[in-house]
Amino acid sequence: MNINIQREQLLKPLQIVSSVVERRQSSPILSNLLVNLKGNQLTLTGTDLEVEMVAKLELMGNNEEGEVTLPARKLLDICKTLPEGAQIDININDDKALVKSGRSRFSLVTLPAAEFPNLEPMEEPFEFSMKQKDLKHLIEKTQFSMAQQDVRYYLNGLMLELQSGKLLAVATDGHRLALSEAEAEINIEESRQIIVPRKGVQELVRLIDDSESILTIQIGKNHIKVELPDITFTSKLIDGKFPDYQQVIPPSGQIVIKCDRNLLHQAFTRTSVLSNEKYRGMRLSMEPNLIRATVHNPEQEEAEEELEVDYSGDQFEIGFNVSYLLDALNAVDTEEVNVHLTDSNHSCLIQGEGENDSKYVVMPMRL
Amino acid sequence: MIIHIDMDAFFASVEELDQPELRGKPIIVGGAAESRGVVAAANYVARKQGIHSAMPTSRALRLCPQAIRLPVRMARYIEISHQIRAIFGRYTPIIEPLSLDEAFLDVRGSERLYGSAEQIARRIKLEIKTELGLTASVGLGVNKFIAKIASDLDKPDGFVLVPREQTQSFLDPLPVSRLWGVGKATHQIFDRLGVQTMAQVRQLPVAVMQDYFGNHGQQLWQLAQGIDERRVVPERQAKSISHETTFAQDISNRQALLACLMDLTEQVSSRLRHAEMLGRTVQLKLRFADFKSITRSVTLDKPTQTTEVLWQAVSKLFEQCTLSQAVRLIGMGVSNLHHETERVQEQAELFATIDSRQQALDELADKINNRFGKSTLHRASSTRRSADS
Repeated sequence: MNINIQREQLLKPLQIVSSVVERRQSSPILSNLLVNLKGNQLTLTGTDLEVEMVAKLELMGNNEEGEVTLPARKLLDICKTLPEGAQIDININDDKALVKSGRSRFSLVTLPAAEFPNLEPMEEPFEFSMKQKDLKHLIEKTQFSMAQQDVRYYLNGLMLELQSGKLLAVATDGHRLALSEAEAEINIEESRQIIVPRKGVQELVRLIDDSESILTIQIGKNHIKVELPDITFTSKLIDGKFPDYQQVIPPSGQIVIKCDRNLLHQAFTRTSVLSNEKYRGMRLSMEPNLIRATVHNPEQEEAEEELEVDYSGDQFEIGFNVSYLLDALNAVDTEEVNVHLTDSNHSCLIQGEGENDSKYVVMPMRL
Repeated sequence: MIIHIDMDAFFASVEELDQPELRGKPIIVGGAAESRGVVAAANYVARKQGIHSAMPTSRALRLCPQAIRLPVRMARYIEISHQIRAIFGRYTPIIEPLSLDEAFLDVRGSERLYGSAEQIARRIKLEIKTELGLTASVGLGVNKFIAKIASDLDKPDGFVLVPREQTQSFLDPLPVSRLWGVGKATHQIFDRLGVQTMAQVRQLPVAVMQDYFGNHGQQLWQLAQGIDERRVVPERQAKSISHETTFAQDISNRQALLACLMDLTEQVSSRLRHAEMLGRTVQLKLRFADFKSITRSVTLDKPTQTTEVLWQAVSKLFEQCTLSQAVRLIGMGVSNLHHETERVQEQAELFATIDSRQQALDELADKINNRFGKSTLHRASSTRRSADS
């Protein structure tokens, strides 16, 4: 097998497929990439058994067909550090790969392609399509609320709900929740939920951009597959039941505080300086047309911010984890933001003024 | 002076206490022979027949066919263990439990109030006897190492005090196997060196010890001189709380290992609650037939003391482990500990969580087990193990 390719043509697809390869591996084959050349088409595959990324590229000139696996990280680092415009020649002989470029030579150990794990093929996938930028928007608006390593494993991912004509994304770690929806070409009678694992979500969002181009998404029993022009992304799904998110979204409520998103965000950011990893609590005191945010820490220090807001209700207090509020305010795009509250024991709903496609729910803290 | 208190044949003695008609008969507490169970404890009548803990039940019953086998009632032992600890607590807050039936006490701060360490130790022993009807073996020494050896020398119902000035003469004739951390491999090296007693260990140059035993060598050498600087660490200041079990015969049956893991989880979470601590990092430890150990851990979103939450975490860690060999030791522990009072800032939950429901369940179970002796409450899957026994 022989491949002759220019550094710039190889680098980007190599970076993408290598990104799913974990640094610490349970089996040596998983730190390798599957490299396949058929005709002039070169296919690179990387996997961690949960997410699989396949890149396809057309080669020029004389190459020799074949299939082998090569160490992902090393090949990428070689490629990265070669000078711009370098011509790379990869020659496979028995269990060694000889990588040559100019006066550089590397001999790498290969593993047989037959050992490389294949994701099971999808049977009768359900297919739908949507704009690339809409999917990106959906993920960016919600992914920060996913749980990290929760024992409730079904929270360690992003829930996608397929409805007729639209796609909903919901993420929650059990303390806060983010929901966003977007138009999609979905022909479905009964809505359907899938949960994409955290890593799959993070890899997928890096692949897509803000373009108007249409994406095709396939959903199988256990997998989701997204095909981009040169890249195919496949992820396993989390097999579990996502909690009833509708039940925990409070009605846009009795108490509404309207204010400038940017000013509120800045005020909270400043008060959060005195919080620490263990004590993230911030007290909010509401008075007519005024919101006061205070943070105390165990060293008995105190931060206080006052902000004029549009509020005409009674005086009351509520506590929150300041990071959760900042995350939500960060995700809001509009200039004005509405904070809906019920009382100091119930969740708050944060929504951008006129931004009806996204909602953020945060549970309070007892301070 | 440090006190080491070790209950005599604890599980079996509790069974005798609850069923006095069994007294004088050989008793084994443990899993059934048919389900390849292991002896968790045996009373002294049974021990005379050569039965000891960690022995397969089937072998124990061959040695002593008339022995009465009883299932493990962990919740009941935990309950009694709390009562014993309450007696310790009358004399000192510095209590370091090693397991349900064993603890170190540092009474240096209480001597002015309650008399000498010896007087305190005698009172504790007496109160355990009169109030709970159980016997304990007690050892007193200048440090943990001496106290622990002392308590073991005159079992059962022993009381051994090693005065400070007699520490060295007490240690010198003892065999090297009494040193902490001397197992099969270390013992073989001592054999090759012709070293049999502590006196011989301490007469070796420390450099020789380091050559043969690495970093561990210096520690062994110091122990042999009666030097042990480890403090008695009360559970409230502990960095982690853990339990482990070594099997007499390696086990590869996942179901059996899970049942054992559940017992360990109940013990650890009960200790957490008793110490008013919450932990965030859950660790699973497995040692395989070839003595290789692995540990797997997970850090939860927030600290917990709830049995069910810990169980979900540790059983998931276990599921993720492939058992390419049989297991000789299983352990679970919780670290990243906070005291309950640090939970002042409490984050409310969006969904009714296992934590809020299970917390109420744990509180109730602890209360019931503390109040009513025999109505032991524990989880069904560890009952199932005793039921199908």
